[in-house]
Amino acid sequence: MVDSNKWGMVVDIDRCTGCQGCVVACQSENNIPINLEEHFNQRRAIQWIRIERYWEGEYPDVKARFIPIMCQHCGSAPCEPVCPVYATYHNNEGLNVQVYNRCIGTRFCANGCPYHVRFFNFWEPEWPESLKNQLNPDVTVRSRGIMEKCSFCVQRIQRSTRESERDNEVLEDGDRGLNPACVNACASNSLIFGNFNDPDSTVSKMKEDAMQEGGRGYRLMENLGTDTNVIYLRKVDEFVVEAPHG
Amino acid sequence: MIPGDFQPQKPTGTQLAKLGVLGVVLLGVFIGIVLVLTFVISSWLGRPVIFGHDGPDQPIEFPHETHVEELGMDCTFCHRTVEKEAAASVPAAGLCMTCHSAVGDDLEGITKMRSLYEDGRSIHWVRVHRVPDHVHFVHEAHIRYFSEKDGVEAKDVCATCHGDVASMDKVQQNRDLKMGDCVSCHKQNNAPTDCVTCHY
Repeated sequence: MVDSNKWGMVVDIDRCTGCQGCVVACQSENNIPINLEEHFNQRRAIQWIRIERYWEGEYPDVKARFIPIMCQHCGSAPCEPVCPVYATYHNNEGLNVQVYNRCIGTRFCANGCPYHVRFFNFWEPEWPESLKNQLNPDVTVRSRGIMEKCSFCVQRIQRSTRESERDNEVLEDGDRGLNPACVNACASNSLIFGNFNDPDSTVSKMKEDAMQEGGRGYRLMENLGTDTNVIYLRKVDEFVVEAPHG
Repeated sequence: MIPGDFQPQKPTGTQLAKLGVLGVVLLGVFIGIVLVLTFVISSWLGRPVIFGHDGPDQPIEFPHETHVEELGMDCTFCHRTVEKEAAASVPAAGLCMTCHSAVGDDLEGITKMRSLYEDGRSIHWVRVHRVPDHVHFVHEAHIRYFSEKDGVEAKDVCATCHGDVASMDKVQQNRDLKMGDCVSCHKQNNAPTDCVTCHY
């Protein structure tokens, strides 16, 4: 049992198959409007988590690299100090919180974010009539003109905190009710969510193991000093790409 | 009369007419301002300021008084999910029919409810208490906290925010349920005031 929680995630790139299951789970959990082709063409599509794809090597020895990227919940976040209305702030559970009702849509935070994980609602969100009843009642539908981003599914954190208080139970690490939608949807277990303040949690152990000398762990754009709460584990190559034999 | 002394001139007919028009316009502006202020104040308070503040008309005049005060039913008997869920549910007509398939034959509301029930339709109650979409109020947590703190049953907690619903002719909002109201109560009870407690 720890006094305060510090939520974070470990992403094992070695396990990721690039199936986009997390993307779909996130879109449906968090009431994200449907991204049409023209939204992508205008670079205005909203994806709280996305899979970035890179090609490595040359034909025929080509490798596809997939990196799931979501809000890194930075300890010293570049998006926070630029907001003129305190619509984004750091709470005491290590979450970078976006308060929709405070946001006035200056988009300074999106400019400040080096990971491109903040999205602006350029349109009033729309769903086909058949999908209106599938909206998640626990998540606000964001209107036009405000920013949004990954919240680590804070609605689930709130609900499971409340339920553990009700039943006098300790919040269990890796509980499916606590995990964000992307983590539950990940077929290859490459996303692991948990509490970094609890030394016994899975993520803490993985972090300790990975961040030591010679470990696989790294943070995205570590040189910026953003002190992120998401740890990535480097891909392990079984066969190193070599030039084809002459 | 001394020459050069100030003599008030008698207003001409056109001047009088202009004054009259000005008076009417000013009166109109005044009435307009009063109407706008009434509208602004009542929308801020969330209830009309002139015509009393009764609750809205409901499709069926459900008498809370008869059910709660006379028959002694608990709030939680009909609003079943209030102790377990975020929302306090409004029952379907089927729950009414557990009693009203047998009692209350000659009442207008009962006849209406029964015909709706037989057609498989729902009663479109007018919602009285509503917080904005970006606010997530959880009944379960509040009921649990106050019933533990005061050592009372769940049904005695409801009145803290909803007032004495049993004595209301038409259910109306008792507190203004604005953020200041929430935050001051949260501070008094050492509840979290982190934004993400309610806004997500």
